[in-house]
Amino acid sequence: MTVPAATSSVTSSRSQGVPYRLVASYVLPVAIIAVLPLLPFVNNYIIAATVRALIFISLGQAWNIVAGIGGQLSLGHGVFLGLGCYTTGILFNRYGIPPWIGGWVGVVISSAVALVMGSLTLRMRGVFFALATVAVSLALVQIALHFVDLTGGGDGLALKFFGNSLWAMQSRLPGPFLYASLAFVLAYYWITRWVLASDFGLAMQAVRDDEVAAAAAGVPVFRTKVLGFMLSAAMTALAAVLYMQFYMAIDPEAAFGLSQAIQLQLPALLGGLGTAFGPIIGGAVMIFLSEVTNWGSTKVGINGLDILVYGLMLLAVILHAPKGIVGVIFRNAFAGRAH
Amino acid sequence: MTTSTIALDVKDVSRNFGGVAALADVSFSVGAGEVMGLIGPNGAGKSTLFEIVSGNLAPSAGRISYFGSDCTSQPSHARRRAGMCRTFQKVRLFDSMTVAQNISVAASQCLPPGRSVRDEVAAILGQLRLDALASRRPSELTLADRKRVEIGRAIAGHCRLLMLDESMSGLTHEEAEHLIGEVLALNRQRGITVIVVEHVLSVLAALVNRLVVLNNGRMIADGTPRQIAHDPVVIEAYLGKKHSALL
Repeated sequence: MTVPAATSSVTSSRSQGVPYRLVASYVLPVAIIAVLPLLPFVNNYIIAATVRALIFISLGQAWNIVAGIGGQLSLGHGVFLGLGCYTTGILFNRYGIPPWIGGWVGVVISSAVALVMGSLTLRMRGVFFALATVAVSLALVQIALHFVDLTGGGDGLALKFFGNSLWAMQSRLPGPFLYASLAFVLAYYWITRWVLASDFGLAMQAVRDDEVAAAAAGVPVFRTKVLGFMLSAAMTALAAVLYMQFYMAIDPEAAFGLSQAIQLQLPALLGGLGTAFGPIIGGAVMIFLSEVTNWGSTKVGINGLDILVYGLMLLAVILHAPKGIVGVIFRNAFAGRAH
Repeated sequence: MTTSTIALDVKDVSRNFGGVAALADVSFSVGAGEVMGLIGPNGAGKSTLFEIVSGNLAPSAGRISYFGSDCTSQPSHARRRAGMCRTFQKVRLFDSMTVAQNISVAASQCLPPGRSVRDEVAAILGQLRLDALASRRPSELTLADRKRVEIGRAIAGHCRLLMLDESMSGLTHEEAEHLIGEVLALNRQRGITVIVVEHVLSVLAALVNRLVVLNNGRMIADGTPRQIAHDPVVIEAYLGKKHSALL
């Protein structure tokens, strides 16, 4: 079962005018991004900014699974970005294992770490889980700083560069990453849609709304929370491969630091928690603002202007649009049901 | 009653909160298909007993058997999947979901393999006259409708024992009568055993054929409504002479 009879009637009423909405919502944005490198006024800077946006969108989509749909506030989700990046980088630099394989090792390690973290903390209600994720991410910063031979310590880990190489998943130009990151965003969008419509997703949402009532409806609360956390961790670690191959380097703060963890949360928080579209809109807005404020801060000579703008934007969303930008945009069209 | 005809057997159940004994050595059985009421003044331990029976709270001592199987250490979701269902004193629906989705959650978790969740949801919506509200969210419903949805979610999938925690409170006389009719229909048509915690005595008189009375965490009486109405201990502790006439 996926969508019950009564809700499918809502779906069918929603799908009136599907061609226009389909084109406007899906086909057009994908087509624009796909042909971006071919447009005369588009340079590598614009393509790279778009890739950055798509990477952070996919990371936001992954976080949205555990926090938006599952309601478990993972404040230290950079743990899985870091594990994915370091695993891929170390396996490649030291053992010559390409990211095509190393990435999956990162996924397995991240899932295992999520299983252990979740098993220890997700039975507890309240802030314990959130605090535990922060504690683990801070611990991993120190571990990464300590094992200098393996991680490069505070200087970070830079990938050996092979030029244009499919085997090494490397490119001198950002173009190939545009298509790879677009594929990630599309895949994660459909995974989110699938989760939202599945029995498992319904159980996750029930747990998010009310754990006691969820258990009284037969939902295995603890198992559902752990599985949701593992899925989100695995998705983050997989997207981390793209992050690592695009940026070509990682350091402890960029991997496990709290500012990075906040960046992972912003797409879903700004766009709309628990919706499939939210992280896409939110991530696009976030990177656009980041680029504009970076440019602005250079012009006016104020460092950290982008952080200030993020903060103000987040404050505005929390106060005036708790369902995020998607909630505001689609309020009328979807009667507050923006998926 | 033989073991197979006993739906619920509560044996010497106690529960302490620090130095306070919320329940002390409570024992009773509920026969399969029976409609039983659980009454007592505020603080008597009714809700604590419901929490223990449904698996939300562990007893300090004692044993709970469900259709002959010891379920004392079973988690609440496993009891629900075995057909032990409940509602809450304060309605607890999934606010982000529609009425149909609220019922779907339980149906998808508790239905035996091979049965259609969609059909089950449709059947429950029909039986509780919720069809027209299927796409609504809990915030758009009246209290009476929210309580019916909660009952629908409680019985979805697989239900052999239904525990209703003050489901009639806050309803008008007419709404309560409708709900009583629906609960009795569930009892008759689906053979569901029902335990009702209720303060509204007229509701109990219309619903139950047996009452268990708690006071200060102890069971002080067990009998038919008529017997309870004339029990001097119950009259003294809970009913009073005026209200005993309502049973």
